[in-house]
Amino acid sequence: MPAALDAVRVLDLSDDRAIYAGKLLGDLGADVLRLEPAEGDPLRARGPMRSGESLWHAFFASSRTHARADDDAAAIHTLAPQAHILLDCGRLSAAAITADELLEANPALVIVDVSSFGPDGPWANWQAPALVAEALGGVAATSGDADTPPLKLFGDQYAFVGGVYAAIGALSGFHHARETGQGQVVRLALHEALVSVLEHVLMWAWYDKLLPFADNSKGPFLPRQGSLHWTRAYQVMQARGGSIMLTIAPDLQKQLAWLVEDDAHADLLDPVYAEPEQRLLLIERSMDVLRRWAAEQEVEPFFHEAQRRHHPYGWVMPIPEVAANPQLEARGWWMDYPVGGGAVRGPGLPYQFAETPGGITGDPSRPQLCSAEQIIDEIGWGG
Amino acid sequence: MPRPLDGIRVLDFTHVLAGPFCTRVLGDLGADVVKIGTDSRDAGGGGPESPYYAMWNRNKRLLQLNLSRPEARRIARSLADQADIIIDNFSVGVLDRWGLDWDSVAQTNPGLISIAMSGMGASGPWASYVTYAPTVHALAGLTYLTGVPGRSDIGIGFSYNDHMAGLHAAAALLAALAARRRTGRGQRIDMSQFEVGVGFSGPALLDWFANGAAAEPLGNDPPWRIAAPHQIYPCRGDDRWIAIAVETDEQWRALRRLLGEPAWARSVQFDTAAGRWNARAELDGQLAGWTARQDDYELMERCQRAGVPAGVVQNGADLTQRDPQLRHSNYFFDFSSAHPLLGPMQGERLPMHFSETPVERYERPEVYGESNAAVLRDWLQMPEREISEGTAGGVIQ
Repeated sequence: MPAALDAVRVLDLSDDRAIYAGKLLGDLGADVLRLEPAEGDPLRARGPMRSGESLWHAFFASSRTHARADDDAAAIHTLAPQAHILLDCGRLSAAAITADELLEANPALVIVDVSSFGPDGPWANWQAPALVAEALGGVAATSGDADTPPLKLFGDQYAFVGGVYAAIGALSGFHHARETGQGQVVRLALHEALVSVLEHVLMWAWYDKLLPFADNSKGPFLPRQGSLHWTRAYQVMQARGGSIMLTIAPDLQKQLAWLVEDDAHADLLDPVYAEPEQRLLLIERSMDVLRRWAAEQEVEPFFHEAQRRHHPYGWVMPIPEVAANPQLEARGWWMDYPVGGGAVRGPGLPYQFAETPGGITGDPSRPQLCSAEQIIDEIGWGG
Repeated sequence: MPRPLDGIRVLDFTHVLAGPFCTRVLGDLGADVVKIGTDSRDAGGGGPESPYYAMWNRNKRLLQLNLSRPEARRIARSLADQADIIIDNFSVGVLDRWGLDWDSVAQTNPGLISIAMSGMGASGPWASYVTYAPTVHALAGLTYLTGVPGRSDIGIGFSYNDHMAGLHAAAALLAALAARRRTGRGQRIDMSQFEVGVGFSGPALLDWFANGAAAEPLGNDPPWRIAAPHQIYPCRGDDRWIAIAVETDEQWRALRRLLGEPAWARSVQFDTAAGRWNARAELDGQLAGWTARQDDYELMERCQRAGVPAGVVQNGADLTQRDPQLRHSNYFFDFSSAHPLLGPMQGERLPMHFSETPVERYERPEVYGESNAAVLRDWLQMPEREISEGTAGGVIQ
């Protein structure tokens, strides 16, 4: 059964800021050609490694054909007219190729140009690796605890954010191109993309006067506070044998009924907490009661019992336990990634298409240096 | 000017953040998004009177139906016949009970694409488990890994997975539209927000399966490689910080010049990446002593001009009031009309700039029933008399 993006051709010139877009498109069936620089893809050196092969690269550069051209500009000029989508992070300008040239040769082409800050502005030429991007983008200020520095997220999350937005830009541009024949350039600044996924942060800055519990003594922002949610109604707590994220949302009364059933409700039935103006006090006291209650529970049965009662608790799992998760196993979620002639288990797709299923494909082996003509003959994009 | 998704109709049953963020993106891109409001489904994300709701529900038309009434469910079913996309992020089975599942609707609308953004997906032993973003962060390893060594109780300080699930859903829907153009048929998509979250540990999971290596929280060290100095350092002022990420010897030499070539920095152990990494505690301590005397924005400018990657740890006030790059790109804007309940509103643009189909139209979030009549006229050609009767009878609210 053909996948959703069967026969959609993508020329991938991206670096780490948009490499995930190629994976998303390739996993859904697009014919993605990753054109490596003549000296090879520097992302093949990024750990973790197995037997000299990058597992980082195996994951992010999966579901693609890999090629390496002896003349980057000639290869781009040869391949772009045959592509529907081109993913770029500065290779075009490095090769002295303009988007206008490519669109003249292929008017329906969608060029997705991902940069750290956009093509102009005071920071346009600044360097922003993950740590810097997440600091400037508001991610770090919002993560960490009062007694730690601000924290970046684990594992190059900026690459996921840039990549998924780039995929949306590519596919919405492709939709328009299929409807009208008109291609275009879609520009994406990773800085803006990161700011767009900060949940409460912009709300806090703009509408703090409308948030009854906002303490803005330091300004219209919420200082980092560990796992305590901005509503103060979710927090990671210690149970026996592990940590668990507990919350009184979405139904405090139902949570209270469970506490009463367990005779662990302390003073929460006191009428003082029923007053509307004591809402914050009720939340904070409830979380305090939950913390003491959780400390007496075995984490695994506690988690499952909470979920049986439809409380959205979350057991804090390290990687080995995530890898052994029965839900993922039952859904047949894991897939094999080709690595160095073998295969390594890894994440599957987060969506199951009923009619056009996708999957992990491609061979990430290091490609030989070829001419543009050889590449286009080999991948079948000619004509 | 046309927008990329002009002409696409989306029937939106989402609530809280993940689903509404997906449909916000589709609406920004030009789709006609009709959000179905119901009295019983506002829990968790607030209603139109809430700033949180308002953040995720611009560029949508709001139709308020009393879905406990069969007449309202018939209206919803008629709307489904006109939709290209139906989306929900309920627990599994809610749309089925309303007769709005793909199998039912596709009998009369075979081009329909439906996506169910449930927490765990439609199958498996945890299919009925309920999640918010902090739940997914915990179960997916993101809470465990985002912290400092020895602590697994910090995690991500905002609902990252909700946004990312919404964006992945948007990508999936756009792919399904491409497939429909080829096949002429729609389809059902079963999406798991949990699986979205687990995917974010992709390289760490491959490392576990390939090498048996279990990733641990690293603070601000880069995983799987050495780089130093690579931390977030204090600056002058109350809770002010700067990220400095030296990844090459050249960047280190540039930073050393900024430091004024002090004796401690000229130590040969710092000449190589391995040497700096092995002595990073001393290096970070010395550097923090220097940065603590500096203004964060001034230091960032000096570092970047010298070729040293550095960035201020910007909070919400910095982003909205100070960030010159966001100001340059006009990233923030004021909605042209005030919200009837919340007053003047601001927003941030979709972070994509289309050269031929610019996404420049931002309608403020609507309030209960604001587009009832317009939607019923546009999608169903419903006569005014029927709309009035439905409203008077409490079917349309």
